[in-house]
Amino acid sequence: MGKRCETFDHTADVGLDARADTLEELLEALAQGLAGVIHDPAGVQGRETRGLRLEADDLETLTVDFLWGVKDLIEADLFLVREVRVLRADEGEVAAEVSGEPYDEARHTFVGEVKAVTYHQLEVGQDPEGGWRARVILDL
Amino acid sequence: MSDKYAGRIERLDRTRWRIPREAQPGMQVDGVIYATERLIDDVIAGGGPSQVANVATLPGIVGASLAMPDIHWGYGFCIGGVAATDVEAGGVVSPGGVGYDINCGVRLLRSDIIADEIRPRIAELVDALYHEIPTGVGVGGPLRLSRKELRQLLARGASALLSRGLAEAEDLERTESGGCLEGADPDAVSDTALSRGNDQCGTLGSGNHFAEIQVVDEVFDEAAAAVMGLARGQVAVMIHSGSRGLGHQVCQDHLRALQSAPRRYGYQLPDRQLVCAPVQSEEGQRYLGAMQAAANFAWCNRQVLATLARRALEKFFGESSGALGLRQVYDVAHNIAKLETHEVEGGRRRLCVHRKGATRAFAPGHPDLPEVYRELGQPVLIPGDMGRASYVLVGTEQAMAQSFGSTCHGAGRVLSRKAAVKRAKGRRIADELARKGIIARARSRDGLAEEQPEAYKDVEDVIECVVDSGLSRKVARLRPMGVIKG
Repeated sequence: MGKRCETFDHTADVGLDARADTLEELLEALAQGLAGVIHDPAGVQGRETRGLRLEADDLETLTVDFLWGVKDLIEADLFLVREVRVLRADEGEVAAEVSGEPYDEARHTFVGEVKAVTYHQLEVGQDPEGGWRARVILDL
Repeated sequence: MSDKYAGRIERLDRTRWRIPREAQPGMQVDGVIYATERLIDDVIAGGGPSQVANVATLPGIVGASLAMPDIHWGYGFCIGGVAATDVEAGGVVSPGGVGYDINCGVRLLRSDIIADEIRPRIAELVDALYHEIPTGVGVGGPLRLSRKELRQLLARGASALLSRGLAEAEDLERTESGGCLEGADPDAVSDTALSRGNDQCGTLGSGNHFAEIQVVDEVFDEAAAAVMGLARGQVAVMIHSGSRGLGHQVCQDHLRALQSAPRRYGYQLPDRQLVCAPVQSEEGQRYLGAMQAAANFAWCNRQVLATLARRALEKFFGESSGALGLRQVYDVAHNIAKLETHEVEGGRRRLCVHRKGATRAFAPGHPDLPEVYRELGQPVLIPGDMGRASYVLVGTEQAMAQSFGSTCHGAGRVLSRKAAVKRAKGRRIADELARKGIIARARSRDGLAEEQPEAYKDVEDVIECVVDSGLSRKVARLRPMGVIKG
């Protein structure tokens, strides 16, 4: 199956719907999906790598916190995402490497700001049909 | 849920619909939604009413769980929601009742500039505004604040900008709460949130935020308009923005911190986004202190944005603000929780009034109003979409009696952003607006498509409802001439 992330319509906002074989790939797909909502992936090169590591009490919180981490990396540090590699993840911890480069007005395009990664109708876990699935709604 | 509401709802009168407290287990009070016949189908289809019912379950809620006619689905609370809880009776404060963009709000400046005289140069004027005001993602503001300076802004609000020459005493006087909520606690704001605020004071942001050059196109109440300095044919400047990344982060930090609070206090909540704690608890006080600090930051943000707009106009016309008659009309918050005293069942009660996508609309004579507006009532600023109109209203006794002194906040979305972008495919929204005489500039690719007029309810319908129900009176209508967006 590999991994993929699509966006879906949600009232005023947008949601991420991701599927993958493993939890690591699921978080990768979500992170890439989120990055694509904030900036155009075109023209972003993997010049540098940033680490992202965090812990949480449950998988839902971990997922939301991880995506906030990616959002901060882009919106606060202005580090645009080329690729996200999750080195390891379980219900309580995630460690990832984000490759990309600092924002350059001449080459990069922001699509829009994400105000929040929400807990609303959050679904993350193993899919009864196999693999992993998550649905996350973003407040724009 | 954003699905159609299928529960009980009954008509109360021409503009009000009731969700009886028996409609859902746990409701402490009724839900009351303001909507005209014309609006109600969209309201029900939008899924907001089930959220009105959910909010009615909050501990300590008094009166009713209210929604204004611009109601649409939101996180936990609907947009357009008003909920007041009794502080002394264990009433709660909920970050979901304020939203991620703490103290998102609207500021209006009036001028003596005659719209017809500048119409031929409007594109240049919009460019001048666009040049001066930072918009969109990743663009810093004109201030680089040290941690200490930022904390001063959070503690003191817009008054902290007086000594920097970025605010005048009159601006503060003509700002809701004087541009500062007391009790703001910068220590309750996380380091991450603070780091977002370092360079974001004086930035517009993206999404539905804007700065607009408008013309006063209709005056409904000459006397009230005169007090506000508004007259037909004059140019005004409207600014819509909030607390930026700092506020979003404060909301998230406290949603997270409060996750376990409902369990500890024995609350049964129907939605994780409704997490809350008693106003008088330690966690409740911490959220309130942080929220108040973020609200103060938002007032600083709009204050600096207004200063930048003034500078753009001064440079463009080569005249001072004074000579141009540029003065602040008012500034309102429409995502906020405030401690206010209201009449409840015959007694005066200290309440925590959550307004999420709703605007304070205090009646004439209210002691919290500045002297200039004391006899008139509070000016209420309602931004419309960029193709239609915005309104200036004024608060009423009816609003005090029915809605804790609250009214609507805007048009309310009807199309999702994706749907709006899809509908704009193959069209040039900027050209369509230009044909109507409105010049639009946006930094992001989809900004104008997402915010096109068709994405919103017609603000006229919303205004008609709040005026018919007596929550506000119409003073003036403003039409956009030029708009800048993120």
